[in-house]
Amino acid sequence: MDTAPPDLSPKASGSKRPPRPMRGSSPALPSHLVHDSIASQPTISEDGLKGTFEPPGPQQTKSSLWQRLGLGVNVESVEWDILLISTCLKLLLFPAYRSTDFEVHRNWLAITHSLPISKWYYDTTSEWTLDYPPFFAYFEKVMSIPAYWIDPRIVDLNNLNYDSWSVIAYQRSTVILTELVLGWALLKFVPGSQHPSMQRIISASLFLHPGFLIVDHIHFQYNGFMYGILLWSLLMARNGNTLTSGILFAVLLNFKHIYMYMAPAYFVYLLRVYCMSPSGEILPVRFLTLANAVILVFLLSIGPFALMGQLPQLLSRLFPFTRGLNHAYWAPNAWALVTALDRVLLKLVGKTGFDLPVNESGVASSSRGLVGDTVFAVIPNVQPFHTFAITLGVLMVFMVKLWRVPTYKSFLTALTLCGYTSYMFGWHVHEKAILLVLVPLSLLAAENHAYFRTYLIASVAGIYSLFPLLFTPAESLIKLVYSLVWGIIVLVPIQRRVYEFPHSPAFVILDLFERIYLAGFVPLHLVVTILPYALGTSKEFLPLLLTSVYCAVGLVWAFIRLSVIYLRSPNLSSHSTAAVQ
Amino acid sequence: MHKDGIKRWILPCVLLSTTWVKWATGLGSYSGKSSGRDTPPMFGDYEAQRHWMEITTHLPFQQWYTYDLQYWGLDYPPLKAYHSGSWIEPSWFALDASRGMETDGSKVYMRATVLICDLLYVWAVLTFTRATQATRSIRTQNLTMVILLTQPALLLIDFGHFQYNSVMLALTLLSVNYMYKGQDLIAALFFVASLGFKQMALYYAPAIGSYLLAKCIYLGQKNGGKLFVQLGIMTVASFILLFLPFLPPFASPTAIFDPVTRIFPFSRGLFEDKVANFWCFSNVVLKWRNLASPGTLVKLSTLLTAVGFLPSVVGLLRTGFSSRIKDDRNETPTTGPGPLSPLLLFSMLTSSMSFFLFSFQVHEKTILVPLLPLTLIMVGASGSVESTTWELGMLTNNVAVFSMWPLLKRDGLGVQYVALTVLWNAALGYTPFKRPRTYCQLLSLVVSVACIALHLLEFAIQPPARYPDLFPVLNVLVSTPVFGLVWLWSIKSGVEVGWAIAGLGGGNPGTSHTVTSSHPTSSSTANHANATPPWRPHPHMVHHRDFRSLSSARDSSRSPLSSFNRRVGSPPATFGPHRPGVRERTWSSASMTTRGKIPVGAGWDRPLHSDRVGRVEAGEDTSVQGLGLNLGLGEQPSDRIRNRVQSLGVSSVRKRAPNFPEGLPPLSD
Repeated sequence: MDTAPPDLSPKASGSKRPPRPMRGSSPALPSHLVHDSIASQPTISEDGLKGTFEPPGPQQTKSSLWQRLGLGVNVESVEWDILLISTCLKLLLFPAYRSTDFEVHRNWLAITHSLPISKWYYDTTSEWTLDYPPFFAYFEKVMSIPAYWIDPRIVDLNNLNYDSWSVIAYQRSTVILTELVLGWALLKFVPGSQHPSMQRIISASLFLHPGFLIVDHIHFQYNGFMYGILLWSLLMARNGNTLTSGILFAVLLNFKHIYMYMAPAYFVYLLRVYCMSPSGEILPVRFLTLANAVILVFLLSIGPFALMGQLPQLLSRLFPFTRGLNHAYWAPNAWALVTALDRVLLKLVGKTGFDLPVNESGVASSSRGLVGDTVFAVIPNVQPFHTFAITLGVLMVFMVKLWRVPTYKSFLTALTLCGYTSYMFGWHVHEKAILLVLVPLSLLAAENHAYFRTYLIASVAGIYSLFPLLFTPAESLIKLVYSLVWGIIVLVPIQRRVYEFPHSPAFVILDLFERIYLAGFVPLHLVVTILPYALGTSKEFLPLLLTSVYCAVGLVWAFIRLSVIYLRSPNLSSHSTAAVQ
Repeated sequence: MHKDGIKRWILPCVLLSTTWVKWATGLGSYSGKSSGRDTPPMFGDYEAQRHWMEITTHLPFQQWYTYDLQYWGLDYPPLKAYHSGSWIEPSWFALDASRGMETDGSKVYMRATVLICDLLYVWAVLTFTRATQATRSIRTQNLTMVILLTQPALLLIDFGHFQYNSVMLALTLLSVNYMYKGQDLIAALFFVASLGFKQMALYYAPAIGSYLLAKCIYLGQKNGGKLFVQLGIMTVASFILLFLPFLPPFASPTAIFDPVTRIFPFSRGLFEDKVANFWCFSNVVLKWRNLASPGTLVKLSTLLTAVGFLPSVVGLLRTGFSSRIKDDRNETPTTGPGPLSPLLLFSMLTSSMSFFLFSFQVHEKTILVPLLPLTLIMVGASGSVESTTWELGMLTNNVAVFSMWPLLKRDGLGVQYVALTVLWNAALGYTPFKRPRTYCQLLSLVVSVACIALHLLEFAIQPPARYPDLFPVLNVLVSTPVFGLVWLWSIKSGVEVGWAIAGLGGGNPGTSHTVTSSHPTSSSTANHANATPPWRPHPHMVHHRDFRSLSSARDSSRSPLSSFNRRVGSPPATFGPHRPGVRERTWSSASMTTRGKIPVGAGWDRPLHSDRVGRVEAGEDTSVQGLGLNLGLGEQPSDRIRNRVQSLGVSSVRKRAPNFPEGLPPLSD
């Protein structure tokens, strides 16, 4: 789709047009705050009056959110306002529902504060043992110091499930504060981008992303901080500072090892762009520099534990291979569809009497709904090795492409696809991992309509798939309304900007199906809301199953879409390696 | 942003995001929430409201106001009581058994009832905005909605502390809307409903009562008398309907006293807690409870309150009388709102603020009642960012939230208090921390600094044991002067608007020099004629596009004549020169006569190269000239008006229409 001739519609693809003179208007705000951007153009007003041009009066230069947005005189101020307003909204969420992750992190504060470093990865006082890499442990250690000043009971190891106001306010505040890393990196993305106005929208959309709101500010995690480091690294890659990018990614890996999913793309990109000349010769000095830098980062992180001989213990904490294929709530990936297919087949076997071998433990597994390991009844069971092989196989295809086209945009897409592939086919994927896909994909959203459509489907399905994280009735409205408003003020402007008419009958039909799919979320939400009341407690997994399967359809489709777009993109574009370097 | 197609999404976005903020506020604590897992609930307004749902669901009418009064007896009027029933989950409201119920489900249900009841307020605000700002851009209207819907004081009390004030305010606002439309009977019905929902609406009663009376006077003997009788019947009938279950055929003759004594608790003290009104303020020096008996204090407070709202009553009646229609001809429109409507909000502000400051048994929450008319005036405030009305409105809103801090602190709503206040100010682009250019900005700066300093002090140090109430008292000392100032300001503004309407001498000063402008673009604005509000938005909120249309339409759309014209629905031609005796023209010219003195809130402080009136005649060019000739208006209209006003002894009319028309001159000038 991205190879469509650009002249098919007046609204040709965004990347091929000169940037619009948007004057700092950023719809990534509640849209009532948003002003018309055609400040100084004489136009016909909505009243149908013939307007006369009036230069902005002195009053209009007064700084206010409303005017700044419209006039874009003072971009900094807009960003301050976004920060201020979003912080206020997040403050309101202090008393909201907290998952067990809140206690997990409190316990880690206590572990790192009360115990010597040698015992961090051995402590089992709480069931929530430390299972993040050492940098995160150091990070908790740093945060435990002010926590101790505020309320010593926060960092008391034996004070399980402590939930006084002090600990809530403190931990929630640390999330808001550390998220500033994300905000800062996003701000830095705007100058130097191809379309600063669009980048501004995208930056704001990421900073206000419902995923972060749901997972960080309600559910409780530090993803804003982590993705801030990731985006910082990506920013460095964009600016041609490849070494720093690599080092930052190594740092990120030592904060949270889930980012390993993205490592192949980094590996290929760094090797190709940093360690090799455009003509393909290896540059040994650069290679050694990079290798040493990364090794140094890892030494800082796991060095102390290696010295104490705790590496096996550390690794066993980080990689617990004892879990099942699916998480309790099936993350909407390929396996969710396979599992659902298995359930359907099982029903069919029961109804029609087909002679298929049925695995008895699989039948038991299906009747248990979503709890525990997933064992298939009809389809052959999947082993971790299978998922590993499939993931790696699919990844290889993308890596070959990246090797051939080592541009920043290509890297970004490959990185997204890395995260996406792991999400699709990984073992025991958690639904929160969808952020691995949505965050880098956002940076590509305004490339052209093909990318945008992929982003749209993935975002809607991905964000909706996070909804079951918050199951309490009070938060239902919060997540739904916030996502709706975010969708309107982010997706609508980008869509207007990059929209292309489908250019062949096949695409018309495709477009129609995608629209139907997106519209289907409305009835889905109604059904999911009403079902629990209609069915009672006997089939409480059914709404979750519906959500998972419906989102999986969209996410799998978006994955296919993105893969096709990427693999079909021209191999050698005019702005290739030279531009990057 | 409309070229990106987001324009039509703005209203849904505004409604959704304000709903989000409201609901998010409700995630927090509420009045009387139990402080921990093991402690019992402490019982506050939340439990009171829940308990009323409990008793009104289970008990017959006659027992509502008598059942176990020790435990949060019902002390709201009947409409509130009718509204309180609940049928969702019986165990949440089981009689007696459910006392202190704090399950998750029941909490969400209770919060949801507030959110649903608040829809009435949303609707009222929407209709108010659409009615009074019809020619303003959608954006300005939406900003007005944001201002009114996310007012931190209201949100904190309704969605945090837990009450249903927005319903009472919504009913009053609807009543105001209908008065603006000239449908006084419906307005009276809504106001009775508002009174019936919460007796605090009584604070508006002197203003609304005298407004309706003044309207009757204005309409003249025949029409006015008719309206008077109709209003009387309507009001009495709706009150009877409201109290029907407590009246003789359905209850014993004395049963009516049960609700009445519950609703008006004169048996309580002069003030409870610390409230930023005159009594508590002066109590620092004069210990009123030692000085006088409770009975005397009741009388004294009633007297002071009456004196406090008297200016608004007198102003309305006088204006109604002096602008009354003597010429009772049939074609005189009697269905419109009349010339008095610009006075309405100022009178409501004067009256409610005087109740707040001087009456008996005032709660700190009651500041919401004067805040409504003030904020309505504020959103109509025009002029520049330096507009005193805007500044005073923002300041008072912020101080109102501040004055409720002791209550909010007790409720555990500290974070919400900070977040909502900052959010509201940031969303409106307001900050008191700028170099002050007017006295009002200076005041705003000083007061804001005082508020923040007080918060920091309270955070940093414990109050001495001798004065445990040190910080609440300091809070009162900071807040009360601001409220007193608003009260005085509202009286002053009301008087000025009254002058504008009826003329200074009270007679009939302005003869029909309606042709005040020959503005070249007047014809282009002619199609504006059907929707012209008396409100003008803050330019702050006026987007440049509006600014253009605003400037081309200039003040055409702001003059009271035009709004009157619109509401009356009469075509411009009716104001032609062949009807020299028609009342409205006189009135409009009179209003222009004093334009330099008209408060911003009335929306008339624009420079008066008003083509509005010119526009009225624009349909018939000859008539414009003809009229001008008839009246001998050789001079420029603005000069003429200035001369005229000066000749009347009003000195402060400025050359250019000022940004600070209220008499506080810019410091830097």
